[in-house]
Amino acid sequence: MSVEIDTRPIWIILALKSLRPLFFLLLAVLFWYFINMPSPAGLTPAGQNAIAVFLLCLVLWVSNAVPLAITSIFAIVLVPLLGILTKKETYALFGNEAVFFILGAFILAGAVMHSGLSNRIALNIIGKFGGSPRRLLLSVFLLAAVLSFFMSEHAVAAMLFPMLLELSKSLKLRPGRSNYGKFLFLALAWGCVIGGVATFLGGARVPLAMGILKETTGATIGFLEYTVAVLPLVVILLAVGFALLMILYPIDVAGVENAGEVVEKRLKGLGKMSFGEYSVGIILLLTIIGWISMGRTLGLAAVALSSVVVLFVLGIVRWKDIEEYVNWGIILMYGGAIILGSALDKSGAAAWIINGVIGRWSGSPWTVFAIVSLLTIFLTEAMSHAAVIAVLLPVVIGISGKMSVDPSIMTYSVATPAGLAFILPMSTPANALAVSSNYITVRDMAKGGLIMVIVSWVLFNLMAAFYWPLIGIGRLR
Amino acid sequence: MKKNYLDNPGSLKIDLMLRGTRIDDPVVKAWACGASGVDIMLPQNTLVNIPCSEMFTEESPYVIKKSGDGYIITDGTGTVPVSLVPKPKYYSLKTSTGVPFSKIGVFHGSYTVITPSPRCDFFNRGIECRYCAGNFDVRGVENQVYSVEEVLETVAAVLKEGASGIIYLSTGFSPGPDGGIEFLKPYIKAIKKRHNCLVAVETLPPKEDRWIDETYALGADSVLYNLEIFDKELFEFLCPGREKLIGRKRYMDALEHAAKIFPNGTVASHLIVGLEPPGSTCMGIDFLTGIGVVPILPIYRPSTDRALRIGPLTTEIIIPVYKHLYKKVKINKINFKWVRDLSMVTTPLEVRALVDVNEGAKNSIIENFYKSKIGLKTAWGLSTLRRKLRVKDSRDPSDSSGRE
Repeated sequence: MSVEIDTRPIWIILALKSLRPLFFLLLAVLFWYFINMPSPAGLTPAGQNAIAVFLLCLVLWVSNAVPLAITSIFAIVLVPLLGILTKKETYALFGNEAVFFILGAFILAGAVMHSGLSNRIALNIIGKFGGSPRRLLLSVFLLAAVLSFFMSEHAVAAMLFPMLLELSKSLKLRPGRSNYGKFLFLALAWGCVIGGVATFLGGARVPLAMGILKETTGATIGFLEYTVAVLPLVVILLAVGFALLMILYPIDVAGVENAGEVVEKRLKGLGKMSFGEYSVGIILLLTIIGWISMGRTLGLAAVALSSVVVLFVLGIVRWKDIEEYVNWGIILMYGGAIILGSALDKSGAAAWIINGVIGRWSGSPWTVFAIVSLLTIFLTEAMSHAAVIAVLLPVVIGISGKMSVDPSIMTYSVATPAGLAFILPMSTPANALAVSSNYITVRDMAKGGLIMVIVSWVLFNLMAAFYWPLIGIGRLR
Repeated sequence: MKKNYLDNPGSLKIDLMLRGTRIDDPVVKAWACGASGVDIMLPQNTLVNIPCSEMFTEESPYVIKKSGDGYIITDGTGTVPVSLVPKPKYYSLKTSTGVPFSKIGVFHGSYTVITPSPRCDFFNRGIECRYCAGNFDVRGVENQVYSVEEVLETVAAVLKEGASGIIYLSTGFSPGPDGGIEFLKPYIKAIKKRHNCLVAVETLPPKEDRWIDETYALGADSVLYNLEIFDKELFEFLCPGREKLIGRKRYMDALEHAAKIFPNGTVASHLIVGLEPPGSTCMGIDFLTGIGVVPILPIYRPSTDRALRIGPLTTEIIIPVYKHLYKKVKINKINFKWVRDLSMVTTPLEVRALVDVNEGAKNSIIENFYKSKIGLKTAWGLSTLRRKLRVKDSRDPSDSSGRE
């Protein structure tokens, strides 16, 4: 049992606790008011209800007053109950391809971690390339990033974290004081964050964005297409990130021989590469090839789930091995977010918002793209990445329709920046883990993180303006 | 000049505890037979356990006598009416396994003390406290551990009778980082699950503060880490085990942390009066009250079966120490109403009468309320609510559920 005792004066705790029921009561009253007030001109009653549900979910997602998945379940209940969509339509949306792609990705990542393959890859890379203090840092940074191309950044951070703690102890780094310790854990966090936006696999947010795009417009973005569009940004950010860390935290250790011993000891403990590791590695490789070559025709989910079936048919993993790696909360959250996006679209609420509110201030598509990406990149520091997508994307896709801009491009403006959270520990588990090491403080993270956020936003917009037209992604004017 | 303490129950209690009493009544003699003293209620509901079988009591000026339907205590110059505290009825009962309840739960007034195991590893290592004549001595009693069920039956009997409202669980030293709380954990959890009563816990200070947090989270309403001696050198000499395996500083740090976690007035520490100079005890009082801890001052009486022989202090010397205690507790605004009605020690509440006679004579409505059955239930309810509000689950930072 690990407990934390709130030592604030009891009256403060009591006051704060009583805020919660008051908050829900106020929310219920406001919600009731919204759905019962006369409909504004041009908005259908169903659209009005959809906006009310959207606002309710927005508040709950932002405040985190209940778990994100529960907010989504609430949306799933309210949408048919208020007559926005029929029950059949609502629940059918939960069967969206993105939801099943995420399920497949969780199972594949679980298989990789359970087999020990990911751990072996990490140890080998650190062991081979981490010979000097600088090379060790670079290895950790790139390893976190590259692994996040193929599996959830959260899983990568959780996998590497204990190893880095052990390395830090073996190097006798002083928590909170050692520059090398700060560098090491920021390299982990930033590596995961930057690498996590490179493909569909780094986090479930990109598939969610694709799911919303497909549901509302029918358009899709392929696995390879997305990666080609985003990879240069990832490469530049990795270079900038490493350089920035070198400036902020100059290396203050002479050698890393002790770390090598730790890695060697762990590798010895792993023994020979097992049949399971080989099998999972081959299946993962084939899956990635499948996503690249057949993603558009078969669908990403079909490829992922086929691989999952193969894993079980060949007896490489058992369900109980995998169960703990499947984050059902995220899957429920995504289902609800897709339903909400569709409800806003099909009820005409999204169009009404765009025509009546956002349409007035939108200037050129470029301005909208820049503002949306800026809004996303800052919102994602305080909100769940997926919640940012669920809140912003339906509206942004609507705007793109009004401005005659390819909605796929506008999807990028939310999907990619939504993963670039560098400033706060609560923004993503990779950052939270890094701060929990005690080697870095929230202030350390925020100091470099703010620079990275600004650099990321500028680079992302420059890339959209100059690189995307070169690879055939629609031009923004 | 011989002092007369009969007029003030606070000073009389101290004098009686120091000098003991002779008994001139067969009923009281029978009561005291086999017990560690006789429990007497002095005026103003002041409960005292008076030594009566030790050698030194033969020279005591005090005698308990029958007077009409009741009893009196006299020192030859005056008398004061007292009453004999009836032995709890549960003392005559046994657990379903045949263990007398009186062996498991010892009545001390508002508290019933339960020591599930007498094990104290200081004895095994030959580094026990030199004055220790208490509950702990492992020699030959290795297997004497009362089960959770036996303790629960005892607690049920205590509460059913209404003998005490607070269950005091204690344990001796055991190797390990937790100070003994892991051993007491199943007992605390079971008592809290089955009964609506307050639980005080006495352990050794754990190595890390998180165990103190856990002690509170488990359901302990009060905690005691008994420093016993404040003077550094005397602590090292008299408590070699504590010094070697825990350290005086850890006691202080643990008490300081506990005072931040537990409600005001529920963290206490014994300072034994008579084992160190009174000035040193006063410094200990200053330190403890300064960090929000209630000092409890038991009086040291040399025991015949212990090697340590220190002559007891006199009441004249001790009373100013107790007055100092009361003043410091007041100045530091420590709630001292939690530690009350104890037969074996003089509490700050009882000392109030020494400082301000008028204050001491009256019990506030709130004090009387908390002594009643409904008051105890209220205290339990408030304590439980406070715990519910304060204890938070510490989640694993790698838990990514809900974040994406």
